[in-house]
Amino acid sequence: MILELDGISHRYGEEVAVRDVSFGVEPGELVAVLGPSGCGKTTIVQSIAGHVHPTSGRVLLRGEDVTGDSPESRQIGLMFQRSTLYPHMTVGENVAYGLVPRNIDGGERRETVATFLDLVDLEDQRESYPHELSGGQRRRAELARALAPQPDVLLLDEPLSGLDRALRERLQQEFVRIQRETGVTTLFVTHDQEEAMTMADRLVVMADGTVSGIGTPRALYDSPPTAFIASFLGRSNSLESTVVGADPLRITLGGRNVTVADYSPGCAKGETVSCHIRPDQVWLNGDRGNGRLSIPGEVVQVTDIGRRFDVTVRLESDEEVLVEHGGDPPSVGEVVDVSVPTNDLTVFGEQVEDQ
Amino acid sequence: MSADIRSQTRTASRTPDLIVPALLGGLILLYFVVPFAAFVSRAGTQNVLAGLSTPEAQMAIRNSLLTAPISTAIATIFGVPLAYVLARRSFLGKPIVEAVVILPLIVPPVVGGAMILTAVGRFTPIGSVAAAAGIPLTDSLIGVILAQTFVAAPFVIITARAGFGAIDERLEQSSRSLGYGPLWTFWNISLPLARGAILAGIVLTFARAIGEFGATMMVAYNPRTMPTRIWVDFITGGIEAVVPLALALLAITLAVIAAIHRFGRVPTVIER
Repeated sequence: MILELDGISHRYGEEVAVRDVSFGVEPGELVAVLGPSGCGKTTIVQSIAGHVHPTSGRVLLRGEDVTGDSPESRQIGLMFQRSTLYPHMTVGENVAYGLVPRNIDGGERRETVATFLDLVDLEDQRESYPHELSGGQRRRAELARALAPQPDVLLLDEPLSGLDRALRERLQQEFVRIQRETGVTTLFVTHDQEEAMTMADRLVVMADGTVSGIGTPRALYDSPPTAFIASFLGRSNSLESTVVGADPLRITLGGRNVTVADYSPGCAKGETVSCHIRPDQVWLNGDRGNGRLSIPGEVVQVTDIGRRFDVTVRLESDEEVLVEHGGDPPSVGEVVDVSVPTNDLTVFGEQVEDQ
Repeated sequence: MSADIRSQTRTASRTPDLIVPALLGGLILLYFVVPFAAFVSRAGTQNVLAGLSTPEAQMAIRNSLLTAPISTAIATIFGVPLAYVLARRSFLGKPIVEAVVILPLIVPPVVGGAMILTAVGRFTPIGSVAAAAGIPLTDSLIGVILAQTFVAAPFVIITARAGFGAIDERLEQSSRSLGYGPLWTFWNISLPLARGAILAGIVLTFARAIGEFGATMMVAYNPRTMPTRIWVDFITGGIEAVVPLALALLAITLAVIAAIHRFGRVPTVIER
C-alpha cells in the first residue's frame, strides 16, 4: 500500500470536516474520492499533501507515517480545480520548477521538461505564459508540472470541474491515458459520479465527512453498501417499507408483501426499511411473472429526454417512482402498473439510513 | 495601440452613465489643481536655481536624499514580512496588531514625533545610552530616519498586505508540494506575485517619508531636511521663499515615482 489513511478526523474550529476516514491506495491505482460538495474530500487531499494537519489519525506514505512531515518532504504531486500555474513563469519554467529541489540540473532538467510537455502534448507551448494558454492547455500544463518531479502519489482535487462538458470528457480520457503511461498512483477527487466511474479503478464514496463505501464502480453501482451510495451513484428510487418477516426477509411494498431472497443482515419484524431500485429496472404494464411485483399507480409526469421517456408514477402509498420507459409513453393521469423486480431490490435498515 | 482605441471608445460610450460621478469627481480634482497651479505660477517670478544653490538648501536636499531612501528601505525590509504574516495567518490578538499598524496613520505626525521623543529622547534610558555611545537618536540624521520610518512605514505594510492577500494560497501550496520550503516559496512565488502591490507601497512610503515634517520637526529639527528647511524659509521669507525647495521636493518625488514605475514594471496580466 503506497498511501494509507488511518482514522483521519479533522475539525475546523468546532466544525467537523471529516470523521474517522480510513482507506488505502495500491501502487499504480487510480482511485476516485467521490462525494457531494462539503463532504470533506478536499480536507482529505489537503491532509495527504500536508497542507492540513488532521486533528487525529495518521497518513502513511510508502509505509511510513508522514502525518507530521512538511508538504515539501512528501513527494506528492498536487493539482487543484483552479489553475495554480505561476503567471510570472513560462510553461517550461513552470514544469521545471519542481525539478530544482530534486537536484535535477541542466541538461537533464531540460530533457525532463521536454518529456513531460510531450506527454501532455504541449511541446510547442514551452515558451508561452499561462495566460496565453486555453483552459484545457492550462490543465495539461499543470498536470505536466505535477508529474515532472515523478511523485509517488498524484493528488487531483476536482481538476476538471470548471470546464465545459466536451473538454472535460476529452481531458478525462487524456488523464487516464497519462496515468496508464506513467503508472503514477493517483487519487482523484470529484463530485461528478459519472467522471469518477469513467476514470477510476476504485471509488471511495464519501458523505458527511465519513466513508460511505469503497469498491469498484460496478460493484458499488450494482450492490450499493449504503442507502447513500444507492441514491448517489446513478439514479435510484427509494421506497419506504415495513419488515413483516425475517429469514427470509419479507417486507411490504406498495401494500403487498414481498420476499427479498438474497438479503442476509437481520432486520427485526416491524422495522422500517428503505428499498432502492434503479429506474431502468422498473417497467410499466409489463411482464407480471417471474420475480416481479406489480404495483398500481397514477402517471403524474412524463418527460421526453430523447432516447427515452422519464415517467413519474405516484403509488397509492403516495410515494413516487421514476421509470425509464422506452416505448410509447402513457399520458398524465393514466393508471398504470409498475413492475418491480424483487430480486434487484436493495434493502437498507434504519441504522444504515441514519448515518 | 488598438487597446488604447478600444478603451477610449468604451469610455466615450459610458460617459452618459457616469456624468454625475464625473462632475462630482471633477470638482475635487479642480480643488487639487487650482492651488497647485497657483503655486507653480509663482515659480516664474523666482530664481528657482539661485534659491536651490544656497548652502542651506543644498544641505537640506542632501539630508532628504540620504534619509528618505533609508527610511523606505527599513520600512520595506521589516514591513513586507509583517504584511505577509498578516495576509496569511489568523492568530489571537491579530486585530490589535492591525490596529498598531495603522496607529502611525491616525496619530497626528507631531504627536507621533512626541511619542518617539518619549521613547528615545535624549533624557530617556535608550536615548542617553545611544547618545553616550556617540549615536544621538534625536537632532541627528538617525532621528530624521526614526521619524520618517514611524510615519511612512504603514503605507508599504498595508499595500503589501493587500497584494499578498490577493494571491491564491494554493499557488503557495503547490510550490510547497513541488519541494520548496516556506522561505523559498515566499521568495519564488509570493514576493514576485505581490511585486506590483509592494512597489506601489514603496512609492507611497517614499513620498510620505521625503515629505515628512511634523514628526521630524519634533525629533530632529536639526539637521534640516527639505520639509523643515521649507518651514524655516517660510518663517523668515514668506511664501516666495519656499518655492524653490518645494518645487525641488516635488520634482524628486515625481522622479522617484516615475523611476519605480519605469524600472519596476510588472506584467499587468496576472492571471488568477
